[in-house]
Amino acid sequence: MATTSRSAIGRRAALAALGAGATALAAPRIVRAQDKVVRIGMPTILSGRVAQLGNSSRNAVLMEVERINAAGGLAGRRIEMVIRDSKGQPQEAARIARELINTEGCDLLLDGEASSGGFAVNEVARDLGVLCVHTNSETSSLTADPKLRLPNAFRVCRQGVHDSIVGGSYAAGVAKAKGLKRWATCAPDYAYGRDTTAQYVEYLKHFMPDVEIITQAWPKLFQPDYTENITKLLQAKPQALYTCLWAGDLTAFVDQASIYALLSQMELFAVNMADYTTLTAVKHLPPGIHSGNRYIKTFPKTPQNAAWADAYRARYKEYPTTWSWQNSAAMHFFEAAAKRANSVDGKKLAEVLPGLTVEVPFGTDGTITMRGEDHTIINYAIGWGTTIPTEPYVPDMHPGDWKQIVELEAEWKKANHYT
Amino acid sequence: MVRRAALADVLGGAAAFAVLAAVPLLIGGKAAPDFVIRCAAYGLFATSLNLLVGYGGMISFGHGMFFGLGAYAFGLLMQRTALSIPAAFALTILIAAAVATVIGAICVRLKEIYFAFVTLAFQMLIHSLIISWVGLTGGDQGLRGGIPRPVFLGVDLANRIQLYLACGAALVIGLVLMHRIVASQFGYTLRMTRDNAERAGYLGVDVVRVRLIAFVLAAVFACVGGVVMSLFVSGAYPDFADWTVSGDGMFINMLGGINVFLGPMLGTVILLLLNDTVTRLTEHDGIVLGVVILFFAIGLRKGLLDFVLDRIAERRATAVASPERG
Repeated sequence: MATTSRSAIGRRAALAALGAGATALAAPRIVRAQDKVVRIGMPTILSGRVAQLGNSSRNAVLMEVERINAAGGLAGRRIEMVIRDSKGQPQEAARIARELINTEGCDLLLDGEASSGGFAVNEVARDLGVLCVHTNSETSSLTADPKLRLPNAFRVCRQGVHDSIVGGSYAAGVAKAKGLKRWATCAPDYAYGRDTTAQYVEYLKHFMPDVEIITQAWPKLFQPDYTENITKLLQAKPQALYTCLWAGDLTAFVDQASIYALLSQMELFAVNMADYTTLTAVKHLPPGIHSGNRYIKTFPKTPQNAAWADAYRARYKEYPTTWSWQNSAAMHFFEAAAKRANSVDGKKLAEVLPGLTVEVPFGTDGTITMRGEDHTIINYAIGWGTTIPTEPYVPDMHPGDWKQIVELEAEWKKANHYT
Repeated sequence: MVRRAALADVLGGAAAFAVLAAVPLLIGGKAAPDFVIRCAAYGLFATSLNLLVGYGGMISFGHGMFFGLGAYAFGLLMQRTALSIPAAFALTILIAAAVATVIGAICVRLKEIYFAFVTLAFQMLIHSLIISWVGLTGGDQGLRGGIPRPVFLGVDLANRIQLYLACGAALVIGLVLMHRIVASQFGYTLRMTRDNAERAGYLGVDVVRVRLIAFVLAAVFACVGGVVMSLFVSGAYPDFADWTVSGDGMFINMLGGINVFLGPMLGTVILLLLNDTVTRLTEHDGIVLGVVILFFAIGLRKGLLDFVLDRIAERRATAVASPERG
């Protein structure tokens, strides 16, 4: 009896073991994905004035993580995100990045910081040698300057110099057609505002040398009242106005400018207008504002791009931002690199990332490439168009010419002694 | 007597450094050394602020400017010159002292709220200068490209353990020196100017001079805190010179207490522990920190170390008084 019983248990155990073995053999990737994880640490801004963008980054990442995990994970490993709020402070970004690697045991860094926070995380990546993908720092020097560029750091994000070249080219086209020679600028008074304006004007003059800048207004960052700047601009009577004000500052400026009928007296070129958070925040969006694309679901006008935006909106009850597509694309790069390297080891991923092309809804032709020479992306959707008050807000985007962008960017790098 | 107190400080400092040096061995992982380095940066800064607030009665809202100045001066010297780390460190201290002398010469003549707001105004000036002088400081992007750390006297600050030991040493030496300052005749004269500046003046004390020296000394130690922070993040950012850093210094003093020398150090540990744990749990960490500050400000009405020592003193007084009553 006892023997029979033992024998029965033994059979059941043997059958169970066989069953488990068969399952493992049949679906090894899924079993490994359940057993092993790859932890990706992400410092980003989840509180303060930029929190909405940080949240939109997190949303996009989590959406992609769900998709990748459902498909078997990164090289068979399930992704586990550890996302922390840096409050937009570079020292906190550095601390958190270090903690994510040293304490939380993260294998890779997805840096969702902007501006100085991104540079702080870059130094942590330099120090720890961990693979780091920057997703929200648009400052060109991060990857263009060889002193800053790291073999283990990559940028999946639009770049300031690309925006300026496309913006200058588009503006010159409009200016030639409409005879706009007297220009004004209005930008926030800090490095981003000054650098971006200078670069935009440089390329505007490159494409149309007889343009004249007759006045420049420099409101403070997060300034609530633009009356003095608006009256200054009105008095100068320019034919066109360029602004790189962004987010709440831009909506406040456009709303206040409408009161003074500024937009009926000059053409407005606002590089940061075409992002849903800004477009929907303006009380009465005027028609005819020229804007660069940040993120618009109709550019590129493909079913994949619209589907991605709709899926995001269905899940989070709001449209994605430019930070969203960049973070989504970064996860695609992780996925493609892990597949090619058949590993999640940072060093192996860093070897295959240069030159890697991924299929994403945000590329001009459905793909984006990680340029090998400076670890930054090219071929992403970039263009300018004019607004209408309702969806799709910017119906006809004029895409930038990547051949021209790359050529002028190379000249810019040379002029800045980066090459 | 003075020599014995100094010896006690030095021995206490040596013991504290020995404990700090053992931390990486006792606690595995790299988190503890990182935490101690940040404690060193903020601890030096907050204790130096207490030289002004607690011992000098000068409530500075702009002390963070020297923290930022230290980080930027040291970072720039290391990036743009061929100076060794000790030489750059010494020059950074001289720069901070020179700037503090100029700013202090204006501020220390002012009383209370005027002193507070003029120091804040100077901080805003320095912060604006950092933001605007893009060619030198990198503007709002900060000093990029890392801070070079050439080996000096066999010390390699690129090595994380050696950096940890160097920052620990800076903290201990800084605290010992500041403790010697507050325990010196100068320290007592400073307290006198705090309690009754007019009377101190009648007694022949040059109040402005005493307050100016305290201002410069506090600036120097704050600047050392900034140097430590710049080494930790391998850069310098405008936030280091922003008013929020001065605010953090004030919070730390409120948390730890200003009547006991090590109060700000305890406050630093509390604030950083709170920050590090609360930010893991919620994005609304500001609310939690605010509640904690309110608890200390309204509940205890003093910093933790002040509260604890006052209670001990009360108990002792009660114990002494009890037999008499009996």
